[in-house]
Order: sequence, then C-alpha cells, then structure tokens
Amino acid sequence: MRLTALTAAMAMTAGAAWAEEKTLDIGVSDALTGGGAVYGLPQTNAVKLAAKEINASGGIKVGEDNYMLNVIAYDDKANPTEASNAVRKLIDRDGVKYILGFCCSGATGAVASFIEYEDAVMLVGNAAERSITTREIPNLTRTRPPADYTGAAAGTFVAEKGHKRVAVLGALDVGFYASYVDAFEKELEKAGGEIVSREAFGLKDRDMSPQLTKIRGQEPDAILVVGYVEPAAFIYRQAVELGIDVPRYGFTSGSEDQFTRVATSEQMEGVWDLRPTELTLLSASENGKAYHANYTEEFGIAPSPSSPYSYDQTYALKDAIEAAGTVEDTEAVAEALREIAVPDEVVMQYLPVDDKMFDENGQAYTSNGAFQWQGGNWVFVQDLPSDAVAYSAFLSTLDD
Amino acid sequence: MVEVLQQIINGIAIGGVYVLIALGLTTVFGILGIAHFAHGSVSMFGGYLTFFFVTSWGIPLLLAILIALLVGLVLGVLIELLAYRPVRDANHINAFIVALGLTMMVEGINLELFGHEQVVIPTDFSRVFNIGGVTIPELRLYVILAAALLIAAMTVFVERTKTGQAIRAVAENRDAAILMGVNVKTIPLVVFAISTALGVCAGVMVGSLFAIAPGIGEGLVVKGFAVLILGGLGSIPGAVVGGLVLGITEALAAGFISSAYKDVIAFVVMISVLLFRPQGLMGKA
Repeated sequence: MRLTALTAAMAMTAGAAWAEEKTLDIGVSDALTGGGAVYGLPQTNAVKLAAKEINASGGIKVGEDNYMLNVIAYDDKANPTEASNAVRKLIDRDGVKYILGFCCSGATGAVASFIEYEDAVMLVGNAAERSITTREIPNLTRTRPPADYTGAAAGTFVAEKGHKRVAVLGALDVGFYASYVDAFEKELEKAGGEIVSREAFGLKDRDMSPQLTKIRGQEPDAILVVGYVEPAAFIYRQAVELGIDVPRYGFTSGSEDQFTRVATSEQMEGVWDLRPTELTLLSASENGKAYHANYTEEFGIAPSPSSPYSYDQTYALKDAIEAAGTVEDTEAVAEALREIAVPDEVVMQYLPVDDKMFDENGQAYTSNGAFQWQGGNWVFVQDLPSDAVAYSAFLSTLDD
Repeated sequence: MVEVLQQIINGIAIGGVYVLIALGLTTVFGILGIAHFAHGSVSMFGGYLTFFFVTSWGIPLLLAILIALLVGLVLGVLIELLAYRPVRDANHINAFIVALGLTMMVEGINLELFGHEQVVIPTDFSRVFNIGGVTIPELRLYVILAAALLIAAMTVFVERTKTGQAIRAVAENRDAAILMGVNVKTIPLVVFAISTALGVCAGVMVGSLFAIAPGIGEGLVVKGFAVLILGGLGSIPGAVVGGLVLGITEALAAGFISSAYKDVIAFVVMISVLLFRPQGLMGKA
C-alpha cells in the first residue's frame, strides 16, 4: 500500500517535471487616456486581474504545458487610427495572437475591418456598435450585446411607465448611441408614444444647458440621455439646475464614483440607467462580489459596471485555448470560442444561445436591466425584456 | 421669451470664460505679436492646481484660487523669460514654433502631474435662483460676476495705471515708447504675468462649472482665438464683446437651430461679421 502511494507520488512528481511553464503574451488595445478611458482603463485593469488569477491557479493548460499570461496593453485613445496602429504593433512587433479590450466602437470597427486577414483572435468588450458582429468575422467575438438589443428593451420599459412624450439628448453622432435610440423609439411608438426632440452633444461637451433649456420648453414626460458617463453626469446635474423635474432615463453604464465626481447624489437621485445587467454591487452574483473586492484591492478603486466584459473575455479565451489544445493555431481557438459554454468564473449574467456563450455571429448576450440611483447607489430594480435567441436570429439576417 | 432669456443667461456664463481666455490672448498678441497657443493648456494647469490644493491639501477654495493666481503670475514671467524672450528679435516663425512646442510641453506636464482623468473643482455653490422662470445656478452667477469684475479690473489697470499706459504705449509704437523712457524689457513680463493669471481664472471657472481634462485647453484656445478675430486683434473691448457674442450665439444656435451644429453656426456668424468688418467688431480699420 505504502509502495503504491510512493509510486503514485513519484509518477506525479515526474509528470509535474515534464509539464513545462511557458508564457503566452496577450494584447490589450483600449482607451487608457482621453474620453473613452472611463471605460477602457477599467477594462484593461480587468484583463490584468483575470490574467493574475489565471496565473495563480496554474495558468492555461495545453497538453503538457502550462501557459502563464503576460498582458501587453497599448493606449488606443478610442481613436480608429491609434487602435489600428496599436493592434499592428501587437501583431507585428510583439507577436501577439490574442487581442482583448476594445471599449469603444469607432476604434473597434477600424480593427475589425482588417482582423479577419490576420493570424490573430480579437475579443471585443464594451464596444456596442451592432455592425461589429454582423460582418461574419470568424476570428472575432464580443461579450457585450449590441446597443439596439438594449435600446428596444429600454423603449418597452419607458412606455410601460406611461410616458408618451420623451425628449432625447445624446451623443447621436456615435453610431451605437443612435441605434439604441432608434430601437427605443420603435418600441415607444408601438405603445403610442413619441420622441419629441432629438438633441445632440459632442463627447467633449460639458455644457448642455442650451439643449436642456430647449427640452424644458417642450415639456416632455421624460428625458432619455445616451452618451459617455462624463457628459451624461453633467446633463443630470444641469437638468436639476434648470428645474427639469421629469423622470430621467439613461444609457451610460457609469459607476457611482464616476457620476459623483460631477453631480451630487441628490442631483442623481431617481435617475434610471437602462442597460445590460452589468456589475452593480448590490445585485452582483458571488463572482461579481469577489470580482469587485479583488479589483478594488488590486487597483485601489471600485470597478466600473462594464469592466467585467473584458474580465470575462479572458476566461472565455482560457477555456477556448484549453478546448482547442493549442495556442499556435488561432483558427482552432477562434472556432473553439464559438463552441464553449459560459465559463464558471464570469461576472456578467450571460444568456447562452444553444448552450453556448457566443452565437454563430460571435456575439454573447447578457440580460438587460433597469437600475435606479437610490441614496447614492445604483440599485437593480428589475429585468428588462431580453430575448437572446430571437435577437441572435435577427442578427444573423443582417449583413453590413 | 423665457426660453430666449434663459439661453442668453446660458450663453453669458460660457461667454464670460471665453472673454477671460481671449483677454489673456489679446494682451499678448496686441503687445508682443505672439500667438500664444499654450494659453489654454496653462489655463488648465491653473484649474488643475486649484483642484489639487482643494482636494489634496484641504485648502479653502478662495485661498486655493489665490495661490493658483500667484503661481500663474510667476509662471507667466517664466514663460516670457525662458520661452519667448530668446526668440523676440528672431523671425516670427520662431515664436510660432515655440508656442506650439510650449503647448505640447504644458499638456504633457498636466498629464504627468495630474493624470488623464477629468476633474471637477468641488464647490459648495449648489443653490439655484429662479427669476420669472429663468433659472440661474449660484455657481454660474458667481462665474458671471467674477468675469465682470476681472474685466473691469483689467480695464482700470490698462486705462488708469502708469504700467497700463506703458503697455498701451508699447502696443502703439514700441520705438516711441523707448524714446519716452518706457522699460520695454519689463513690459512683456508684466503682460505675460497678467495674461497667465487671467488664464488661471478661466481654468478655475471651467474646472468648477464643467471639468478639466486633457484636450480641453486646446478647444478653449481655439475659441479664444475665434473671439480675438471676431472682436478685433489686440482690442480689449473687442475681446469682451467677441466673447459674449460667441457664447450667446452658441447657446441660441443650440437652442433654436441645431445642437449638432452649434459650433458650426457660431463660426458661420463669426465669418459673416468679418465679411462686413474685416477688422473685427471693435478693431481699428
């Protein structure tokens, strides 16, 4: 008996000695500075956190080898040219085959336009422009659902609240915000409502009082704000300053910290955020709570709600590489990505299509949720309509 | 009518910031002929500094602004001495290149010292006044009043003090000013000190009303030069009128024509004015 145990121990030791520890470089292209950094920096941190956890638990196992992840991150400033340059640098100079991050649609779209011809796999996070996953790019997947998937759910929710006249103030020159509003409008009109005004602002604008003054004069039942956190926070603050007291709905995915840098909690009270069911501590799963705690400890700041999109990408990549049994054959890994189930470690609440994390378009779906600012926190109030299977079928019919 | 008045109030607040930026630019340009592109970045530096004093050291806001102003005065002197004075007698293109380089340098320093995140200078001014349906947030009111006070102080300084007269003399005719005994080596130092201090004030206003972030200074300096051209190069009354016209036009354009094209409309108005008055609204023909 003792001999058997000793033999087994020797065999395990020998096995461990054969397993070679290697390094796998993974790239991140994301906005680390500029307007998109509110999304890009937390995403990059999330990839680093996931890589650290994966390394601590033995790395990615491929045959006899264990791959430790090494993250190389470049700042794409949410700019298409910068993103193209960053990805070229990752592929051509650093020899990276797996590229994660991608918070912002313009930059992501630019990279998506050539990634199909590269020996690489692109995992898109927060960028919500629909066309990113309608191009049938085999080596691209995305964890965040498209904006119109959420916009339609938001339109239904606002209509159910009884609002008939909604004024929109948004970054409408950004494609995915416009598509959110279009889907929102469609559902609102089905219920007999209408958008009475579409006012725009630029992503660098911080004074939206002229647009809000115009909206105030139109006496809407509610306002809908779509845009980055920073301008959106100013809109909520300036709406209160202008005495606008109708319900305020939004599509921003900002954290409590990000909003209270601009507006007081009192000015934010009652604001709704209608978005994918992203990380909100009060409604988080066990994984979500652990992620929140680990991220806060690692980086000294709370994670933004959308940051787990890239954390989840990293675990999806791990499972896909292990399923494919190779790090060299990117085609096999890309195929495996479309076959894997939702990894156990993910933070977001994904709705699998045919029991798979990504559908045939490479698109993952989370549920949509209505969050409301109550007493200084985003509180999850209710689920919004989220038919991933139907939307996936619809997405497959598109070709743009 | 209420909406028009509200938009005018909205425009005056942002116009006040434009005026302060343009005043700094116009004094430098009018007297020294330098297009001081770094002015916007220097303004942001002042705003960042105030934010840092308030949030990191807990210094009360007014005292923090005062210290930032003093730093601004010194910084202005240093900019003139170290950056522009060495190229004063060289070809104009040299000063132009220095201005561009300085802009990049100050932007880089801001990024290195204060990071890439947007910051908002915290204030306790959260009340909102409502006068006949027109709402004026307390902070905007103070910004308008502070801008008016600074404009008045600047006017008195230039018109009524000996140094102000010397500045005007140098602006009119440098050689004649030398013959009249004006120390033309000191005047640029004074001009840059005042210009930078005004820029710091504008940075504080932007930082408390809106936000300071990398890139905001560049946008401000573009607006500042637009005001300069609209009001008349080198004209202090022109900077005041031009700033207010630009701010109010932007607000009215966003409110009554199209928010998507408010900047375009404001610049179309500017170009239209220049077609009829190429010297600007208050410039000399």
